[in-house]
Amino acid sequence: MDKRFKIKVTIRKEGIMRYFSQLDLVRILERALRRTQLPIFFTQGFNPRAKMSFNKALKLGEKGEIEVIFYFRERVDKELLRIKLSKNLPKGIRLRNIEIVNG
Amino acid sequence: MNWLNFQKPQRYLDSEWNVIKKKHRGKIKVAICFPDLYEVGMSNLGLRILYAMFNEFNDIVCERVFFPGLDLGDYLEKRKKRLFSLESKLPLSSFDVIGFNLSYELNFTNFLYMLKLGGVPLRGEERKKIILLGGGISNPEPLAEFVDVFFLGEFEEKIAKFVSILRKYKDKESRLRALAEIEGFYVPKFYHVEVKGRDYYFFKKYKYAHLPLKKIYVKDLNSVYYPVNWLTPHTEIVHDRVQIEIARGCPNRCYFCQARCFYYPYREKKVEKILKIMEAVYKSSGYENFSLLALSASDYSHIEELIEEAEGLFNKEKVGISLPSLRVEDLVSRLYKKLLKVKKTSLTLAIEAGTPQLRERINKRIDVDTFLEAKEILKSLNLRHIKLYFMFGLPGEGEQDLISIGELVRKIAKELNMRLHVSINVFVPKPFSLFQDLAMEPEDVLYKKRELLLKTLKRRNIKLSISNIKQRIIEAVLSRGDRRLSRVIYRAFLKGAKFDSYTEHFNWRLWEEAFREEELDYRWYLSSFVNNFSWSHINWRG
Repeated sequence: MDKRFKIKVTIRKEGIMRYFSQLDLVRILERALRRTQLPIFFTQGFNPRAKMSFNKALKLGEKGEIEVIFYFRERVDKELLRIKLSKNLPKGIRLRNIEIVNG
Repeated sequence: MNWLNFQKPQRYLDSEWNVIKKKHRGKIKVAICFPDLYEVGMSNLGLRILYAMFNEFNDIVCERVFFPGLDLGDYLEKRKKRLFSLESKLPLSSFDVIGFNLSYELNFTNFLYMLKLGGVPLRGEERKKIILLGGGISNPEPLAEFVDVFFLGEFEEKIAKFVSILRKYKDKESRLRALAEIEGFYVPKFYHVEVKGRDYYFFKKYKYAHLPLKKIYVKDLNSVYYPVNWLTPHTEIVHDRVQIEIARGCPNRCYFCQARCFYYPYREKKVEKILKIMEAVYKSSGYENFSLLALSASDYSHIEELIEEAEGLFNKEKVGISLPSLRVEDLVSRLYKKLLKVKKTSLTLAIEAGTPQLRERINKRIDVDTFLEAKEILKSLNLRHIKLYFMFGLPGEGEQDLISIGELVRKIAKELNMRLHVSINVFVPKPFSLFQDLAMEPEDVLYKKRELLLKTLKRRNIKLSISNIKQRIIEAVLSRGDRRLSRVIYRAFLKGAKFDSYTEHFNWRLWEEAFREEELDYRWYLSSFVNNFSWSHINWRG
């Protein structure tokens, strides 16, 4: 059974954030997530990263919505994530929706 | 502006986490410029410290200006637009004070190019505003015509004084006079330098200026300001790690080293202070990699305790910790167990010379045998790769020393069965190093030695990078130069020299012509000097 706690977050990439690539977006979201101090689930191996999966990638210069699943080591309150994450996202990335996938 | 027309537009956008944006109205505007690309400049700790410190003053707004990519540079020139700051996008020419963090002689032409693109007159006398230069240039003389004030040493100590002078005096001349009276500020126009044969004579033109000039350093690293609200780029930078300074200076005495004198004396920060900073920076940035910064991290008195504590602090969050400057014998004898727990990184070893005899001659203490004996330990560390640094053109160096570099590298590659990055640099007798009075090896000899090295080191499992000789010669001349070189740099710049630090952009012909037209022989600066140097009026030992 999958013990990781998953939350699906919909974000909107707009403004100057359009000029940041998908790779940059992964970096931006991981650091934002780390700043929330929530119990992130990390990938295994020598170079652990915060695990996340995306439904698609936007082209450079394109604005739009992306769904991303964040993984946690334990249960995280949806509202708490909303409050903490929105405080830690840079200008140009807007939190649109949050839903718990399992739990 | 459509940023999609430019390579890496992320360089020019200002959205970093913890970026400081202030209103300009009624404030003194200070630009901090870095004469290389964003991704290089953002890896510079000094720039970050000054940016944050200047902005701590309510009546100062400090913004960053980086060297533009060549595509943006061309665009600005063609459209007659000006180089701008990241934060407000205002042209460089609209700032009251222009600060430069300059650490490398091969960026001198970039420095001029930035001024030109920014709409700022290049020569000090043609300008109404102050250009202040600091960083890692120990001999400022070649830039004397362009720079109004050089700061000698660690600016944290005098930033408050500097700001108070900006507040008190509004015109350039009174600012310069006030600054010249304070130790650490070198205003070249208040000094007259005469060259007679091989000798330099220094005279004051303003009676309250200091002569000799002394550098300024922070006495206690524990009380020094640290930029804990770490400016966190959204895109990859060259050293994509938070730099946590653990010590300044170096207790070793390698004769070829300039940094030792430049950052003298050796000072350490306390473990608990370092840990506090690390924790605060992590909270503010969410950065996933940290590196513990020192010229020689294994000389840090409590290195084992520090690694253990830092690992404990970051264990859960999977934050990587790297130590870029460990001594190999310390690594394999006592530190590797501690490092096993830390996220894997690469290992850098400055071996410098091929034989123990030559290493002794340059006073480089490194135990290569211990390193080879410890191959099992090294394998267990899961290193991504190992970087090895060597020099050639060292005093007293013979063919055997060079052949030994090849033998040693091949042996290491074979024993460890690991890909090696080998970097071999031409030795330059840099000012303020203990070898400053040596001559640089003649060009023809250097070329022969380079050939020999290439022949012995071209192997599949070795990634070799070896100095471009002409490029190193220009670096040597500029680092050892005097005021006459301002004109040479200016000519080279007018001919189109820029990005000289990038081998693919470096153009020897432009420099050669510039020297010829100024009727100066660049070789003159590379021979051994007798009595004194163009930098003899400055005392970096403090």
